[in-house]
Amino acid sequence: MRKSSTKYFGRYKSSTTFETRFTLLLSIGFMLFILLLGRLYYLQVINYKHYNTLSETNRIKYVPTLPKRGMIFDRTGKLLADSDAMYSVDLSLSEVDDLKSTIRAMKSLIGISEKDIADFYSRKDKLKRHDVVTLKNHLTDEEVAKVLSVRHLYDGVDISAKLLRHYVYDNATSHIIGTVGAVDRKDLRTLDKEKYKNAEFIGKTGIEKYYDKILYGSAGYKIIEVNAKGRQVREVDYNKATSGKDIALTIDIELQKYAYEQLKNYIGAVVVLDPRNGEVLSLVSSPTFSANSLLWKNKTYNQNFEISSSPLFNRASNGLYSPASTIKPFIGLSALYHRVINPNRMIYAGPYFKLENSERKYRDWKPKGHGYVDLATSIIQSCDVYFYRLADLLGIDRISQFLENFQFGKVTGIDLPNESAGILPSRKWKDENIGRKWTKGETIITGIGQGYMLVTPLQLAVATSIIANKGKIILPKINSDFSHNISEKLLEKQEFLTSQISDESWERIQKSMFDVVNQSNGTAYWTTRDKKNMISGKTGTVQVYALSQDDDERDDKDVPKHLKDHSLFVGYAPVDDPKIVVATIVENVGSGSKYAAPISANIINYYLDKRISE
Amino acid sequence: MNILFRFFEEISDRLLLLITIIISCVGLVVLYSASNGDNNILTQQIVRLLFAISLMLIISRANIHIIRMISQYIYVGVILMLLLVLFLGQGRGASRWLVFFDISFQPSELLKISIPMMLAWYLSQSEEKEINIINLFISFLIIFIPVIFVVRQPDLALSLIAIFCGFITLVLATLNLRYILTLLVIAISSIPLLWKYFLLPYQKARIITLFDPETDALGSGYHIIQSKIAVGSGGFFGKGLMNGTQSQLEFLPERSTDFIFAVFSEEFGFLGVLILFLLYAILIFRGISIVTKAKTYYGKILGGSIVIIFFMLVLINVAMSTGIIPVAGVTLPLVSQGGSSLISFFVSLGILLAIGRKQSGTK
Repeated sequence: MRKSSTKYFGRYKSSTTFETRFTLLLSIGFMLFILLLGRLYYLQVINYKHYNTLSETNRIKYVPTLPKRGMIFDRTGKLLADSDAMYSVDLSLSEVDDLKSTIRAMKSLIGISEKDIADFYSRKDKLKRHDVVTLKNHLTDEEVAKVLSVRHLYDGVDISAKLLRHYVYDNATSHIIGTVGAVDRKDLRTLDKEKYKNAEFIGKTGIEKYYDKILYGSAGYKIIEVNAKGRQVREVDYNKATSGKDIALTIDIELQKYAYEQLKNYIGAVVVLDPRNGEVLSLVSSPTFSANSLLWKNKTYNQNFEISSSPLFNRASNGLYSPASTIKPFIGLSALYHRVINPNRMIYAGPYFKLENSERKYRDWKPKGHGYVDLATSIIQSCDVYFYRLADLLGIDRISQFLENFQFGKVTGIDLPNESAGILPSRKWKDENIGRKWTKGETIITGIGQGYMLVTPLQLAVATSIIANKGKIILPKINSDFSHNISEKLLEKQEFLTSQISDESWERIQKSMFDVVNQSNGTAYWTTRDKKNMISGKTGTVQVYALSQDDDERDDKDVPKHLKDHSLFVGYAPVDDPKIVVATIVENVGSGSKYAAPISANIINYYLDKRISE
Repeated sequence: MNILFRFFEEISDRLLLLITIIISCVGLVVLYSASNGDNNILTQQIVRLLFAISLMLIISRANIHIIRMISQYIYVGVILMLLLVLFLGQGRGASRWLVFFDISFQPSELLKISIPMMLAWYLSQSEEKEINIINLFISFLIIFIPVIFVVRQPDLALSLIAIFCGFITLVLATLNLRYILTLLVIAISSIPLLWKYFLLPYQKARIITLFDPETDALGSGYHIIQSKIAVGSGGFFGKGLMNGTQSQLEFLPERSTDFIFAVFSEEFGFLGVLILFLLYAILIFRGISIVTKAKTYYGKILGGSIVIIFFMLVLINVAMSTGIIPVAGVTLPLVSQGGSSLISFFVSLGILLAIGRKQSGTK
């Protein structure tokens, strides 16, 4: 019978009851239910043999293969870091019949320490029944051969190879190259999970961390057939892992070793730059640590130093120090630019400087004062009173604005992780960070690099390069392929330094710095012997322990070691065509001229005599 | 104690409750094995299970009229949660999860119950409602509005399941056979369109490998091959608990969720499968008896939907593990790991128990 379309969509009384519809759906369900039971009977009972054979013999497994980490070279192509194969003997827990006797057999075969065995059991307890546990790491070739020759006698015993990072110069380069370590929970939050799937080691510090993505490469996989005991029968398919890319550093390893030796017995840091292009030739932070042993959590630092000297801390790029007198050339330049003094006029500099309406004495390092001095003499002899006066005349606003051009208070942008920015104090900075108003006395001590201002040795080296270059700004780098993003603002600064500051001013400051080392009244004259490389520089002494107002003098011998002054030196050479800049700090030893200056001069002479001329 | 005793006295169908708990315990045992004896996973699942059972018991005491009245709010609530997922969801690849503190939750799982509830509420306003095109249109809206969000996540499997659940209720509520046939024709003819415009490459790959798994033995076919080997090698008696090599040596992917049935059949064999099927069958029959005795039309439709949906999802999961239908994210009711799916099933069964209550039947 035909029905009209209005009836079809309109008042068409349902022809079925709920019960019929429910029953219909249930019947479909039970039909499928029976069908599935049939299917299971077919798979599990009729075809059991077929599938059982498949499960016994034909097992396909997906195994990730890890990439070989990129190598690291120095500027001359010498190998600094590589990955070596490390062999270990593993036990597959589900296959070993008698764990104790197997371990005993291995022990008599290759000698396994009680500690290794204890470690094995503690690791085993955390794992599951079918896991593989390492029994001994770092097998020698001979031990590998021994184990392989008897492997067939013991079920579940196998040899595995791992690529392990090896640092050729270990302690000497550990602060530059850094270390790799196991992926931890914190890393998992930030890592690219696809790329680092199954990764065992990733860069933790230094170049290893900064360039981890390049060094790591990309993981591959293997699809293998394994037998009933989980051992590989054949390889079905593979996608090769891509090794990480190699990196060539700007570091000169011979210079690095030399600088490391120079600083070995002190706490401190040295940064050596090429002022022409910002390439870091050497970067040492002392005390240092053994990157190779760190990987195995052995004792890594030199026993002569206490833990409180933090060997893992990179003083060169993260240590914050007052610039002390090394700031004086910059303040002098500022005074010349702002024309607050006549640089040739002799001014009387007594034992101390006093502000009007104030009783507070700002002392000179020289108890009796320097007498009549001009700008040049004040830099050469490091006269504090002269610079107190300059700071007072300039005022903090002009000082901090001018110093900004030398990149103080800012990260240098070097290709190392977590570099410190230091502090360039200003009214705004104090208001925001301390919440109090700037005082005049704080301006005065800024003139000699004390007070709030803090710099890293790396920043000092960069700022000194700018003086050596007469205003051309360079940014430091360690990977020779690295190039900085040059900001608009940086170009403006460089424009200011090269065009607004006269050549005469630059030369006046450079001459004074040359005389610091080469004139008999210079602070670094007597402590640096070899003069032929025409070194310019400036010493600095950071007061760790301040003199009280009433003490006129103090005796260094009475001061405990940790309160002794830090010794600072910045320098470059040769004066007319600078090829090397050095910034050195030695902690808690005494004045800048005695320690940092000779170390710096040695490094400069070594580089110019042995590394460049050769 | 007395209160507790009376509480259980008043459960409408204690056999249904008992079977539910037995199946859940079987699930725990299989999960323990599937996770290679991981105590943490087991403890987590026990906590989820206890929470879900409590929720079921509370719901089972509710008056069916109240459940009917809050249906629409639950429906809207689930949509709001799906909106939240869209904005701040978390998950591997697709964002399907809401995370509060450390508890993650997958709201789309709740569609299995919220869509049937809403449809049953809408379609039961008059008994044996006469269908017209407007009802049909609104029913479609009810089904597809939340599904749009799930497709966007993207989660094709759950979208299809949600649509499927809605259609079950629709069929039970009003349609006569002609409508069912018409709908079937529309659905089948729209498959090419879906294939062309909606399916992602990986989803297409899954369907293709179904017909010939060996063509892609290491990609999409891997799941199917490994699962079939697991089931088949279980034989009649099974390999024994914790002894299934396919699952213990980690050849079988998604062991504790989608493919948990394969682990079960590998370790307990065809005999175990028969017993598990018997348990499910008893559960279904108790459900049928509740539905046939239900006094309200809403109760009948919703109860019927719950029973059929539960039944069908068991069948779909088993069909998946035995390589009959495409690999898709369908859990095995009451057995698979995962709190969200567990809760949706226990809430459903709680509602079924509420429908079975004597006093709520009188109208």
